Amino acid sequence: MNCGFARRLLCAVLGLLVVLMAACAAQQGKHGSSGTEPVIVNPPEALPESPPPTPPTTTPPLVTRPQPPPPGGFPKTLPESGASPAVLALYRQAEDSRAAGKFDKALSQVERALRIEPRNAFLWQSLGDIHLRLQHADQAESAAQKSTSLAHGNPWLDGPNWRLIAAARQARGDSAGAKLATSRADALGSAASASP
Amino acid sequence: MVRIKSPFLRWLLIGLVVAFSLGTVAFSIYLVRLDRDVRDRFAGVRWVLPAQVYAAPLELYPGARITLAALRHELDRLGYRGGDELIGPGTYVATGSELRIDTRAFAFWDGAQDETRIAVRGDGASLTAIRSMGSDNPIDLLRLDPMLIGSIYPSHSGEDRVLVRIEDVPPLLPATLLQVEDRNFENHVGISPTGILRAFVNNLFHRGKKQGGSTITQQLVRNLFLSNEQNYSRKIREALMSILLERHVGKKEILEAYLNEVWLGQDGGRAIHGFGLASQFYFNKPLNELRPEEIALLVGIAKGPTVYNPRRYGERVKERRDLVLRQMADAKLIRDDELELALARPLGVSNVATGGAERYPAYVDLVRRQLKGLYREDDLNGEGLRIFTTLDPRVQEALEARIVADLPELEKSRKLPADTLQAAGVVTSVEGGEVLAMVGDRNTRFPGFNRALDSKRPIGSLAKPFVYLSALEQPGRYNLQSLLVDENVELKMPNGDLWAPRNYDRQLHGSVPLYTALAKSYNLPTVKLGLDVGVERVHDTIQAAGFQDPPELPSMFLGAIDMAPLDVAQIYSTLAASGYLTPLLAIREVLTKDGQPLSRYSFKLKQTLPEGPVYLTTWAMQKVIEFGTARWAVSVLPAGQRFAGKTGTTDDARDSWFAGFGADRVAVVWVGRDDNKPVGLDGAAGALRVWGRLMRDLHARGLDPTPPASVEEALIDPQSGLRSDEGCAGGLLVPFLVGSVPTEYAACANARQSSPLDWLKDIFR
Repeated sequence: MNCGFARRLLCAVLGLLVVLMAACAAQQGKHGSSGTEPVIVNPPEALPESPPPTPPTTTPPLVTRPQPPPPGGFPKTLPESGASPAVLALYRQAEDSRAAGKFDKALSQVERALRIEPRNAFLWQSLGDIHLRLQHADQAESAAQKSTSLAHGNPWLDGPNWRLIAAARQARGDSAGAKLATSRADALGSAASASP
Repeated sequence: MVRIKSPFLRWLLIGLVVAFSLGTVAFSIYLVRLDRDVRDRFAGVRWVLPAQVYAAPLELYPGARITLAALRHELDRLGYRGGDELIGPGTYVATGSELRIDTRAFAFWDGAQDETRIAVRGDGASLTAIRSMGSDNPIDLLRLDPMLIGSIYPSHSGEDRVLVRIEDVPPLLPATLLQVEDRNFENHVGISPTGILRAFVNNLFHRGKKQGGSTITQQLVRNLFLSNEQNYSRKIREALMSILLERHVGKKEILEAYLNEVWLGQDGGRAIHGFGLASQFYFNKPLNELRPEEIALLVGIAKGPTVYNPRRYGERVKERRDLVLRQMADAKLIRDDELELALARPLGVSNVATGGAERYPAYVDLVRRQLKGLYREDDLNGEGLRIFTTLDPRVQEALEARIVADLPELEKSRKLPADTLQAAGVVTSVEGGEVLAMVGDRNTRFPGFNRALDSKRPIGSLAKPFVYLSALEQPGRYNLQSLLVDENVELKMPNGDLWAPRNYDRQLHGSVPLYTALAKSYNLPTVKLGLDVGVERVHDTIQAAGFQDPPELPSMFLGAIDMAPLDVAQIYSTLAASGYLTPLLAIREVLTKDGQPLSRYSFKLKQTLPEGPVYLTTWAMQKVIEFGTARWAVSVLPAGQRFAGKTGTTDDARDSWFAGFGADRVAVVWVGRDDNKPVGLDGAAGALRVWGRLMRDLHARGLDPTPPASVEEALIDPQSGLRSDEGCAGGLLVPFLVGSVPTEYAACANARQSSPLDWLKDIFR
């Protein structure tokens, strides 16, 4: 307990309270099930005596919560994401096709890679980018969203995804939406540069 | 001038002249008509090219989840020949540690892949390395040529053909054919007078032992235009048509048409026309991979595919084949040493007829219907399109094997007479929405009623996840721990009837947490929840998942919605893909007959359901398997992996459903009776058995446990539904939408004491 000088007395009183309540809780805890497994196998079917949970009184807006990076940090690029050589080979082919302006071919190559690693967020971003070049604005936005869904808070993906969404919205003529997406991208961009 | 005195003779002569003139005119009209008939029908036949339908190619790469044994099985199914050495495309060698393959060249949508010699290594689960045999360079990935699964003639279904162009046919085939059937082909006018005379004389003296004197042209005419009856008027018609055909069409075209038209066997209701299809049918490989003795066999049986059925009359066919081989050697078409080798070889006919539309009738039916929505029938009819589908032959094989094996077992377990039950199944990929496999009948090759598409049955409790999802979209009112009251409900329907649903076990269970109500599939809490959320919202949720216009009635909460298995696969796919709707497609690419890309159908997705609530619903659907109605599946699914699903049962157990998914596969299984009588199987006792073992056989991956950004997890005391921590035993980690985690701690929690403390601390800070 980090008690300041002026609050020492109060802290002592509260400390006593904690001990008392802990003792009380230990008594009640015995009513709970005895296993330590986090997954219960057979919950009681009827719980007449337990009080109903209190639902929150207001509905908080759903915000994208920054998630803790995995050990070793978020991957910045597809090769860092642990993609297999097959996926990397297809990705390189797709990059070549895209550079040559063969967007349909690039699309099919990224999809081929996605069949091998369907939950690779970098591939979904690449798919969205190619869709944008093919002027499939809706598909570009959806693929970027999907990439964000699978990125689990990776700022290296989230920032570019929001830029992609902004460009797709702009292409559709949704300037307000594009502006919103750009500001999200800017916010994430600074977060990305701040992260190690 | 000769005067004919007798009036009788005079009238007779006039009569004869008139009759002859009329006869000539009539014959001319007949000939003109016949001529037009021949031209029209030949043109019609010649230019109808079927759409060829291919399965998805097998991708080989280090890490691909296929064992060497399974890969070898796939090569066998593609008609690759195993042996001691690689002797050309379509062959392989299995050594102790690796599989060496000479792959066939194939023109894919995104470019041609050349014939390649590779060596593949693997371990107990997947491929570990692939290298090029010449250079020893590692290969990152490569596709095998895709399996041809059928041809589509939308106008007259049941037809099937692998059309070949004469340029692509191994020259030995036409040479042998002409040597055996029609040596004077290049020179005659369509009929061979000497041949006919010889046959006539022969038939006169040896009654009953018919000898043919037909040219290739005559045989083609007979195959194309005429019935098989034997009489002189038909013979004359055949001869006339042959002469007329030769006037209009070149020798090369006639020969090509013959190669594609001649009847070479029968596979149940499917006639095997043409050498291309016959090569697949008897040898399971393309025409250009046939060896001399195989060509000799096909040419030999053209004489009479019933009498010379190689699968039935092996001895007789071998005699005939060897006769043809000797004729080939006499004509110097093959060398003597080749003859000796060929004579020594067995017939080599594959045991099981493979390939063709009837191999995967339900799937090809789906492809045909999706094509109809994309192309005009005329384009499909004549253009010889090459259709590349999403069918995964390995998944299809697994689904078929399960249904074939499990239905008799289910019948036995319920003491039902054999063949009482029917079944249908669909497997799709989670991301991308590709239909990987489909079965529409327990007799998986039967091309009849396709239950996967056309059997629309009430889905029962399969509808429930959408009721719960609609509720979980309102975090202010519901979360997974919210307690639902299980008590009787009575509803007045619009038509005045009283609707009083019951729980499946006819019991009441008091208050139950929301996720338990779904896991145990309780009806009454579901109805109350649905009513509370509103019929309209649930309707919208199901529609957002991909099913148009479900009925807006409370009975919908318990699945009074008629759907086909494919419809169910669609709405469950949207859950499996975290709320992204992807219209299920069976077609990837369409090429023209020359291999030019015509259209591609890329992954199409749109987020139609919110990710967080879908995650929560999926979490509750995992409990269906962990401790709910589908507990049985734990015994067959791989330990430590999570799958989500839902049982479905309709009134009196008429329909037994299970739909569920892991990270990469969605599978839906229906078991019931065509006459809609009760089967005595609920979803768990019936369809679940097929589903669970299917997911095991497919090596389906378990769900990714990482929650999306809009979800946070909290330890919950299952007794009270309140927050828990180290102080409580048996806490359950439950996901909540961000900001909706219960704030109140259970009595057992240490934090219960610290929370007022924190509040006080904040005041004094």
